[in-house]
Formats: sequence, C-alpha cells, structure tokens
Amino acid sequence: MLDSYSALGVTFAATFVATFAATPLVAKVMRARGIVGVDIHKVSKIEVPEMCGLAILIGLAVGVVAFSITVPSAVREAAAFIGAVLIAGAIGIVDDLHPLGARTKPLLTAFACVPILILGTYIPYPEIPLYGPVRLTIVYPILIPIAFAVTSNSINMMDVMNGAMPGTVAIVAFAMLGVLLWSGEVRTAALAAGLLAAMLAFFYFNRYPSKVFDGDTGSLAVGTALGALAIIGRIEAVMIVALIPHIMNSFYGLSSVRGLREHREIHQRPTELLPNGLLRASNQKGAPVTLARLILAAGPLGEKEVVRAMMALTAVSSLLAVLTYWLTVFVR
Amino acid sequence: MKRILPLAAIEVFVWFLLLAITFLISKVAIEINLGTGTLLARIATQMIRLLVSGALVLGWLLAWRKVADLYLSKMLSRR
Repeated sequence: MLDSYSALGVTFAATFVATFAATPLVAKVMRARGIVGVDIHKVSKIEVPEMCGLAILIGLAVGVVAFSITVPSAVREAAAFIGAVLIAGAIGIVDDLHPLGARTKPLLTAFACVPILILGTYIPYPEIPLYGPVRLTIVYPILIPIAFAVTSNSINMMDVMNGAMPGTVAIVAFAMLGVLLWSGEVRTAALAAGLLAAMLAFFYFNRYPSKVFDGDTGSLAVGTALGALAIIGRIEAVMIVALIPHIMNSFYGLSSVRGLREHREIHQRPTELLPNGLLRASNQKGAPVTLARLILAAGPLGEKEVVRAMMALTAVSSLLAVLTYWLTVFVR
Repeated sequence: MKRILPLAAIEVFVWFLLLAITFLISKVAIEINLGTGTLLARIATQMIRLLVSGALVLGWLLAWRKVADLYLSKMLSRR
C-alpha cells in the first residue's frame, strides 16, 4: 500500500497511458463500423471517428482501479466516482447511437449521481465563500442530481470545436487538483489527477485538426466526473466558479433559444463558416448566444484561435476559483 | 488577446457579483429559521432557504446574461 501522494502519481500515470493507448484503437473500431461525424467547422467537411470518448472511460476506469489497489481504504470514493462516470458514459453511448430528446438527456444524466447517494460519499455542509459551511442535510441530496445534470450538459454543450472539451476541462481539473491538495483532500485529488491525465492524453488526438471526436459518450462522462469531484471533494462553489465559461455557454445558449431544445430544432447557428475557413459570429437575432459567438463577435477567427480563447477564459475562471477557495479558507 | 480581455472582464464582474450574492445568501437566506423542534419545521426552514437562495442565484444569472447581451449587441453593431 502506497501513501496518498504516491497513489496520486500512480493514478495519473495509469490513466494517461490507458487513455493514450486506447484512443487510436477505439478510433479504428469506430471508423471501421462507420461511426463517424462530420467536422462542420472545416470547409472540406471531413469525417472523423465519433464516440472515441470510450477511451476516456477506459482510461479513467484503469486509473481508478490503480488508485483503489494502491489506497484500498479509499475504495468507496473511487467506486462512487467511477460509478457515476460510467453511468453518464452509458447514457452518452445511447445518445450517440440513438439521439435522445433535449429534455430526456439532462433528466437521465441526473441519475448518474446514484452511486454517490448510495455510497454516501457526500457531506451535506457545502462551503459558501465568505461564510463557511452551511447545514443542508435535507435539501443537499435533492440538489446533487441537479448539479450532475448541470455539469454534464454544460461540458456537453462546450464540446463544439476541436480540442475545446479536453482543453478547457484539463485546465479546470488542474486547478481543482491544486485546490484539493491545498484542502488536504489528497484522495479526491488523486481522482482529479486521473481526470487531468485523461484530458491531456485525449487532447493530443482531439486538438485541431481533430483525429477523433469524443461524442456525448465522452463529454457527458467528463462533466459528470467534474460534478463528482465537486461533491466528493466538498468544492462545490469553487467548481461553479471554475466552470463560469461552460455555464455561460450553456445558460446563454439555452436562455437565448428559450429553453431546452435539441440542436435539430434550432434552425439558426451561432457561428458561420466563411469560404476562407474562418468562423464568424452570426448576425441573426434568433441565433443562440454561445461562448463561441461572443468570442467571434469582435471579428472572424480560425477554429484553433477560438478554442485558444476558450482555454484562456477557462484559465481566468480557474484562477478565480482558486481565489474563491482562498476566501473560503480565509473566513474559517 | 485583445478580444479575450472584455470577456475576461465579464468573468471577473460575474465572480464579484457571485461573491455579493453569496454574501446576501449568508445574511438573508441562511438567517431564516422557522424552528428546529420538529422535522416539518426543519424541512420548511431548509426549503425556504433554498428558495430565497435560488431567487438570488437567478438574479445573478440574469444580470450576467444582460452584461453578455450588451457586449454582443455592441460588438455586432460595430461590424
């Protein structure tokens, strides 16, 4: 049995190697089966293997098993984390193969919290910045499914451009790893290290120009992993701040098209692809207000630059999240 | 970098607003107490705290949206 810090290193390494090795294999299988998606932000409209988020699930599962072997006393937290991730991943697989309705998807992803509720890996005293812990023993378990639906679908809605999902989530996971280590939650920090490793490995293949797409299989699972980290590690408010760009993207998108709608129901796109390959913000009044549209409002840009801007904004929000944690510690 | 600055400023503004909202939640919502003697009173206290906090958070989201809308319409009208 290793100490928690060594286990953190083992989890990181195991997840990185497994995700990095699994991604091209999964991509090969998906292409052979004809499970491909069109890269809509390219003039050439190339086809890219879809559902490669399965590699993220494999990587996280391997990492969590390695973590459980090295720190057997943390098996409950590990099981709750990977249980939630696998449920969300399964919902993502169904959604990738047979698209779910706009209301069904958030409803189903809320159920990903079941392992956390059953295993009781939550403390119903969330830390409020500038105030401290608040007793919410009755209401907290009701809020957990909502939190899971919000995080998983916010990450899902950010997964629109090459590298946007793993790039931004890697930054958030890195910040959460720092906060969890600072708070002494080394076991949950090991899980954050696993998520960071999976994102770095997947980013290598998903970055511009993408060779793989994670699909809803990957994005719903990764969003759920963030929700699980927030609840198990007791960093709920800090996570909300870190996810400001993602919440901005999903909340604006939803409120500007007046509620939950499947993308097939929305006829106006937030961005337009120009013949020279650059992207431009849509000028149409009814187009969804997304983060990409806000970034492009100042003028056309390439997809790679838009994703860099998304990552820079996530870095700012992650820094604010660390400041939020400092404020929480400050009032204790 | 130039185009990130206004959006980063919106993020910082939204963060300050969030801190103000949490301060308000701590001073208004969390101070609500309908008693702890019975389970019903405890449930009612937590539900009202949640509703008041929810209303404040909704106000935060709407203020955030307003700022972003203003930025978007200003930038699009310049084109």
